[in-house]
Amino acid sequence: MVEIPQVAVLTGFGINCDLETMAVFEMAGAKAHRIHINSLVNGDDSLENYHIMAIPGGFSFGDHLGSGRLLGNRLRFGIREQVRQFVKDGKPVIGICNGFQVLVKMGLLPGDDDVSLQQTASLTLNDSGHYEDRWVSLEFNSNSPCIWTKGLSRMRTPVRHGEGKFVVPDQSVLDQFEQQQQIVARYIDPSDKYPSASNELLSYPLCPNASMRNIAGVCDPSGLVFGLMPHPEANHSKWLGATWTREEIGDDWKGEGMAVFENGVRYAKENL
Amino acid sequence: MTASQPQRVEVTPKSLTGLKDTRGESIRRQLSSDHGLEISEVRSITGYLVKGNFNETHHEKMISDLFCDPIIEHGVVNQHILNDSNIFSQKPDAAIQIGFKPGVTDNAAQAGLDGLKTLFPSQSIDAEVSTTMTYTFYGLPDNVDCQWLANQLHNPMIERAIISDKSSCANNQWPSLDFPEPPVNIFGKPATIDLEVEDDTLIEISEKGLLALNLEEMQTIQAHFRNPTVRATREKVGLPPMAPTDVELECLAQTWSEHCKHKIFSAKIHHVDTETGEDSYIDSLFKTHIMKPTFDIAKKVDWLLSLFHDNSGVIEWNPDWSLCIKAETHNSPSALDPFGGAMTGIVGVNRDILGTGLGARPIANTDVFCFGPPNYEGEIPEGLFHPNRVFRGVHAGVRSGGNESGIPTVNGAMVFEERYLGKPLVYCGTVGIMPRRLADGRESHDKTPSPGDVIYMVGGRVGSDGIHGATFSSLELTEESPSSAVQIGDPITQKKMVDMLLKARDDGLLQVTTDNGAGGLSSSIGEMAELTGGAKVDLSQVPLKQVGLSSWEILVSESQERMTVGVRPEECQEFEKLASLHEVEATAVGTFTDSGDFHILHGEHTVALLPIEFLHDGVPQLQLESEWIPPTNEEPSYPDVNATEMGGVLSRLLARPNIASKEWWVRSYDHEVIAQTVIKPFCGVNHDAPGDAAVIAPIHGETQGAVISCGIIPRYSDIDTYAMVAGCIDEAVRNAVCVGVDLDRMAGLDNFCWPDSVESEKTPDGRYKLAQLVRANRALDDVCRAYQLPCISGKDSMKNDVIMNGEKISVPPTLLFTLLGNHEDVRKAVSSDFKNSGDIIYLLGQSHQELGASELVTMFRDECGGGIGGKVPAIDTTRNLALYRDLTAAMRQELVVSAHDCSDGGFAVALAEACFGADTGCSVDISEIFSDNNGLDKWGMLFGESLGRILVSVKAEQSAEFEAAMVSNACFRLGEVGVGDEISISLSGETILEASMSALKQSWQATLDGGGA
Repeated sequence: MVEIPQVAVLTGFGINCDLETMAVFEMAGAKAHRIHINSLVNGDDSLENYHIMAIPGGFSFGDHLGSGRLLGNRLRFGIREQVRQFVKDGKPVIGICNGFQVLVKMGLLPGDDDVSLQQTASLTLNDSGHYEDRWVSLEFNSNSPCIWTKGLSRMRTPVRHGEGKFVVPDQSVLDQFEQQQQIVARYIDPSDKYPSASNELLSYPLCPNASMRNIAGVCDPSGLVFGLMPHPEANHSKWLGATWTREEIGDDWKGEGMAVFENGVRYAKENL
Repeated sequence: MTASQPQRVEVTPKSLTGLKDTRGESIRRQLSSDHGLEISEVRSITGYLVKGNFNETHHEKMISDLFCDPIIEHGVVNQHILNDSNIFSQKPDAAIQIGFKPGVTDNAAQAGLDGLKTLFPSQSIDAEVSTTMTYTFYGLPDNVDCQWLANQLHNPMIERAIISDKSSCANNQWPSLDFPEPPVNIFGKPATIDLEVEDDTLIEISEKGLLALNLEEMQTIQAHFRNPTVRATREKVGLPPMAPTDVELECLAQTWSEHCKHKIFSAKIHHVDTETGEDSYIDSLFKTHIMKPTFDIAKKVDWLLSLFHDNSGVIEWNPDWSLCIKAETHNSPSALDPFGGAMTGIVGVNRDILGTGLGARPIANTDVFCFGPPNYEGEIPEGLFHPNRVFRGVHAGVRSGGNESGIPTVNGAMVFEERYLGKPLVYCGTVGIMPRRLADGRESHDKTPSPGDVIYMVGGRVGSDGIHGATFSSLELTEESPSSAVQIGDPITQKKMVDMLLKARDDGLLQVTTDNGAGGLSSSIGEMAELTGGAKVDLSQVPLKQVGLSSWEILVSESQERMTVGVRPEECQEFEKLASLHEVEATAVGTFTDSGDFHILHGEHTVALLPIEFLHDGVPQLQLESEWIPPTNEEPSYPDVNATEMGGVLSRLLARPNIASKEWWVRSYDHEVIAQTVIKPFCGVNHDAPGDAAVIAPIHGETQGAVISCGIIPRYSDIDTYAMVAGCIDEAVRNAVCVGVDLDRMAGLDNFCWPDSVESEKTPDGRYKLAQLVRANRALDDVCRAYQLPCISGKDSMKNDVIMNGEKISVPPTLLFTLLGNHEDVRKAVSSDFKNSGDIIYLLGQSHQELGASELVTMFRDECGGGIGGKVPAIDTTRNLALYRDLTAAMRQELVVSAHDCSDGGFAVALAEACFGADTGCSVDISEIFSDNNGLDKWGMLFGESLGRILVSVKAEQSAEFEAAMVSNACFRLGEVGVGDEISISLSGETILEASMSALKQSWQATLDGGGA
């Protein structure tokens, strides 16, 4: 039992959602540390000192050569064994937006049982051809092993990306992820009755990037490693909602996005 | 040394089910949207030219682990991917390759180089990378000229393009640019400039050297070098005693430039008003009308921490945190290279925040643009871009700069007017936050350097890019304007530097910091040297992008992403270790002294020695003439219309670019990073109605907020700049009131962009333009005092003129007023959208017959001629402030569910926009308003832009309480938020305007739809 899980929130090279990612973990009852990736590479610090790893959103290396690619390489070549060991130790990992792109490009997501760090999917330019910031509705797969989304049904969050289209070379790969319940979060039309997540591509902007099968987030086979394009940390309080001034809000101002981080922290407390 | 031939890498998207070549498709759509050119398909190939110690054994790893995403892309090395018929089965009709010119910042190449260093540390030591983009066109109409097509895709000032036309493509002759080798710079020893010459020659020296110094200033410099004490000192350090070196002359020109010294705002002005008979002298508009009111307000409040002297103004926000704000313009560079100019604008003003006090964290950006009309069909003078292209480029630059830096763009505006065809105005603003005190007890808004502190240059390197930016922006734009003044920003280098410097600040390692903007090291070190009384710098220590730069070039280059900081000698080691962790270059280049001199060496040789006092206070005051003769404008004519036609007038007004929805453009700014944005650019049930001001809650989990708003109405300048400025300030305040600002803690920023207002051959109407500036400043003084709204920082850009082929285009006198205010509890913030049907609609404030220079009469003038009238909205600050206070109190009691200000297009436009947010119509009766206002007619009521008016809605059950709260003010109950699609406005029992909301919304959204999905 860990009383207060220690979270390594990675920073450096254009990561820019590190402060709010730290804030949500602290709100969820953990202690967050801002760790420059180079301090893991040069040995000043090590992932083994932490219970949770978070790769926040941002524009690492300006998205040049493909979003997440260069930062993914820094991790894949710089701290390969540390990362593999962290996952093999059963510790939770989350990547949000650029962090998700990093996890996919370095092969940690959708991943495999051996944590072999082989890339099997990608995230590429939105079909719209441009970056955009808009609020979307997500639905979570209740059969997924993902520890971050246990008990969640739907959530409103912003997407803020230009390269969020989840793609694989072959549809059978998606069938396999689906079979293993690794497809965790999908874009949905909030006016449809729950559950409504489907493989049928939703129109723009409901699915803001034309992601295959409306995929917004996936986990690895163990359910410990989770990545998603939308930003649950950007909905930590109800006053950040897109339409909150139109809603009756009582005294509870906790935002919908907090549930993800509370799940991660609870898991660490109970299992590590 | 590096291998002779670069490796050529080419990458293109795979064709997989569900995957597009999105880059190619974007180009196809853009050509269709901007030029009506229909092409069946455009494909893209990204190219990398890699120099370094690489061979075939590295190719596979290079491709699969770096340059190519194996899931979705094909990649080849040292082959033409276009020859692979499995990938390109069809020969294109044209192929165009674009690459950068030598020396231009290539961010993707720098990223590629970083990637190579990760994969091949030992091969990459001397590696260099450059990138290209190739577009291939299929189904290209035969009549399209490939050179024309290439011109649409690149900017020859910074990029190269080569073309393979149809026959070349058929013969597999593909475009293939060489590595952009920068020309070899030959280091030149400092030259001596003889100033013992005739006055004509002095002017010639200034003009040829792009020094932008006038005769009196040149004579002042001449006189300095005649001083026997100066001569003696110079002799001792081995400088030519009787004449300046080029280093010294350049340093003085930068420091004394209009851009840095604000000579027009500091001038002594003889002002004559032919209307009132006034004949008076004003000793500095800045001191009289901007500083003085602020200092008078500062006597009454305790939250103004840092005013005017630093890179931004600072206010105390609460006992733990301070906020600061600054806005800059980047007009001339944006005219020459819209993308790079705007991008350096935004990342540049971010550095002003980082360089405030001991460093603040940028937390919000604002962007305000003034462009020529996007649908402009007239002639474009040679050398200028179509406003549409300027718009796209500027937008992309600001988007890239802001988004990649992780700073949300929370507020802004766009203004379209023909006179911005020459110089677009690109205002970039940034809000910063800093701890009130550091751990060691120092107040973080104060700089604390001491003699002996080591001067570091941090961040990017110095190159030949960005030489003469400060002096160049102090001249009008002409055919000869130098391309070296144009740069492309590098947000990631800057982001690394921001992270590192803020950590250094928190660790107590910084004694002083400032940014390298206009004037480069000359300005940054020169300014900080004033604090200790001197500095000694060795230019040979400055890291360079390319060897061979001359001393003066190193000193004045404005290469981006650099800060200059001062560190105590005993803390240098820790500072350098931190820089190395963050992979930020930090180089000691000198020390602060108290010698009284700015002493510059290159290696062992002194190349400049200028007394600090002469450098900063030596520039002579300008003496200028101003004369106000009120302009006369023809009255507008109004058509006879029935209620449906009046709906049509509203529809056309909503479609005007100034009023139309900017959603397509604004949505591609990240406005929510940092997870603090409470009132966003968009609101309403469909997230597409316009917000008034931004509200942010920057401390996660806490409910105190900050409000950011702006006002800009250059149209009014054609009647009176006094009214223009009063209108701008009231608009900024009104917008802030709409979201619930704390009226007792607001600070302002004034950003003037003026046409040349110094009378000369080029500017025969200089006296009138200067009188416009005088009146503008007087309004700023009067209104800021009345609203107790101190200006804490600001900027002026005084040469917004273009002369191309003898034709001069000057911008209309333009002020941007930006407001930063406190918000006591963001949970009580109010948005502009109507909420529920049955809510009661009120108009607050008085409506007058004030249609002069309104958007309505401007539209009628554009449609069928006529004048813009004379009666521009007048301000009544006492009445407005009383209303704002009562409304704010009502909001704190949660009596108000929506509030939207009436500005461009007046009441009818505000009503339609509030309805868009609820996706519903409404039916209102405006009869009561007429009982209160003599002389008002229906045009004035519906579309007049009288100041101090806010449209609000209130829950029916709270209406009595609300009316009681507003009892001392003009408050008119107009009707209810309705259901259905109809909007109707009636007067004395007669419907005077009716329209379908969905149709109105469509015209409002169509004008500035940028195209695509």
